[in-house]
Amino acid sequence: MRLLLAAAALLALLPFGLPPYAMTLLTEALILGLFAMSLDLMVGYARLISFGHAAAYGFGAYASGNFLLHTSMPLPCAVLLAGLLGGIVAIGVGWVCTQATGISFSMLTLAYAQLLYAVAFKWTPVTGASDGLAGIPRNPGPFGVTWWSTHAGFYYLTLAFLLGAFVFCRQLVRSPFGAVLRGIRENEAKTIALGYNTRRYKIAIVAISFGVAGLAGALYAPFAGFANTELLFWLLSGQVLIMVIVGGAGTLVGPVLGAMFFLYVQQKLSSYTDSWALFFGVIFILFVLFMPEGIWGLIQSRFKQKTV
Amino acid sequence: MDFLPFLVTQCLNALSQAALLFFLGCGLTLIFGIMRIVNFAHGAFFMLGAYVGYSTVHWTGNFWTALIAAPILVGGFGAAFELGILRRLYGRDGHAFLMVTFGLTLVMGEVIRLIWGVEALQVKPPESLSDIVFILDEPFPVYRLFLAGAGIVVALVIWQFLERTRLGLLIRATSQNAEMVHALGTDVRLVRSAVFGIGCGLAGIGGVMAAPLVTASLGMAPNAVIDTFVIVIIGGMGSFLGSLIGAVLVAFVQVFGTYYFPDFALAFMYLIMVTVLVVRPGGLLGKEA
Repeated sequence: MRLLLAAAALLALLPFGLPPYAMTLLTEALILGLFAMSLDLMVGYARLISFGHAAAYGFGAYASGNFLLHTSMPLPCAVLLAGLLGGIVAIGVGWVCTQATGISFSMLTLAYAQLLYAVAFKWTPVTGASDGLAGIPRNPGPFGVTWWSTHAGFYYLTLAFLLGAFVFCRQLVRSPFGAVLRGIRENEAKTIALGYNTRRYKIAIVAISFGVAGLAGALYAPFAGFANTELLFWLLSGQVLIMVIVGGAGTLVGPVLGAMFFLYVQQKLSSYTDSWALFFGVIFILFVLFMPEGIWGLIQSRFKQKTV
Repeated sequence: MDFLPFLVTQCLNALSQAALLFFLGCGLTLIFGIMRIVNFAHGAFFMLGAYVGYSTVHWTGNFWTALIAAPILVGGFGAAFELGILRRLYGRDGHAFLMVTFGLTLVMGEVIRLIWGVEALQVKPPESLSDIVFILDEPFPVYRLFLAGAGIVVALVIWQFLERTRLGLLIRATSQNAEMVHALGTDVRLVRSAVFGIGCGLAGIGGVMAAPLVTASLGMAPNAVIDTFVIVIIGGMGSFLGSLIGAVLVAFVQVFGTYYFPDFALAFMYLIMVTVLVVRPGGLLGKEA
């Protein structure tokens, strides 16, 4: 806990010591971190592997993009509303996908994402088809509040969303609801036998997870100023899964670290070589093989060894 | 165009498409049946087959050599990957495989880009197959007829292989009860390596055969892997006949869907998959829910 507070304080102080370029990168890392954390709710706690999480991210991005372009809604409201909308739509998605279990569940989420991807290409008035939405503004709030339109301001807004979502998710997984999720992960038949309607819990966690991922996407649209079909592409779903696993599934903190690690390695490698994906693939395979508990698991075991 | 010739040529089109999809789906379902793992890299093996086919045709000038060389190389690589890496994961849950093979997809995509470059490569079909025949006065490429025929032949060969050979018997037995097969004195690990190699080799054949139609390109892998999963989920994971039915169904939906509703062809495919899963969660011929 103390470690987390220290990390939050460090993240809050960083804008004073970093050049703008690094700030942009860090903001993106936090957005991706929020995205990865949302997936961790499903993967780490209920063992529901979503292979189409980009659907929620892209949905959020297009939703907030449209709110910001066509209304004068203040930026934080647009982001919240987009996340909420994503969560509500995901109730239906969750209902369909939880018809299946295991790998079929993963493939249904992938199919949903691919469907949205195909729709985004055709639904020009809302998505701008292959051009995407460009020039998404960071709308000011009432009384001329505009602090989130600067680099540092947007960073703090993102940080606030990330910390808020983190506290929410942590309370969630520590609640009785979270205990049922872990029950589903460890032994679903037993959980059903104990009298829980596990399907309802699964639909709920899909909706919450997609909603939080929608928040991340909704932040990305005004961050980058655009939203395009790549935000719905399956490759992004795979990448965010990598972040969760490399960071450490079932820890909430780990996936955020995984997202930072992913972006950092991508940046470092892409300045040396075009084929950073090659190295990333190898790193990923090595992580799954030899360090399934991820970066955060590694840090924790180090930490414990020292204190004992 | 009259309706009947149109219908016949479109059906033949769909059959040739089904053959390609079958090469993919059948390999994936065999691997799943034996190992209970999902090979996400299946599309990447398909793509590797197309590129190896390109190079073989380029060096030898002979398409038929490519048809033999590609599956051997691709299948060999697949078996090596199983021996070297996947084998370490058998104690772990199924997701580890999905992730490792996803990592392999990234690696293979990059390695192929480094070796063959980013441009799509055209593979020429053999002289004897590059003609056009007239079916009910409609022109139709011979190569697509050849594909449809090859699909039928390979389906029959695999069926007979599974039913009548010793390895086929072991494969069927292992998919039913691996521990019992092991206890009866067969090294199940070898069966697994062999099946993984065969499955990847089939994807490799599919890649070579697809290359003259669609050119060898880096976009092949994701498209192929998604189609393959749809087929296998519709047909039922681990069911050989299911993959055949799934391939034919998906191919017909793709061909006719693209013709009548070009905007919704993809949506149709997923709609079928979702309907099947809602009605029969294990797929049409799948055993488990």
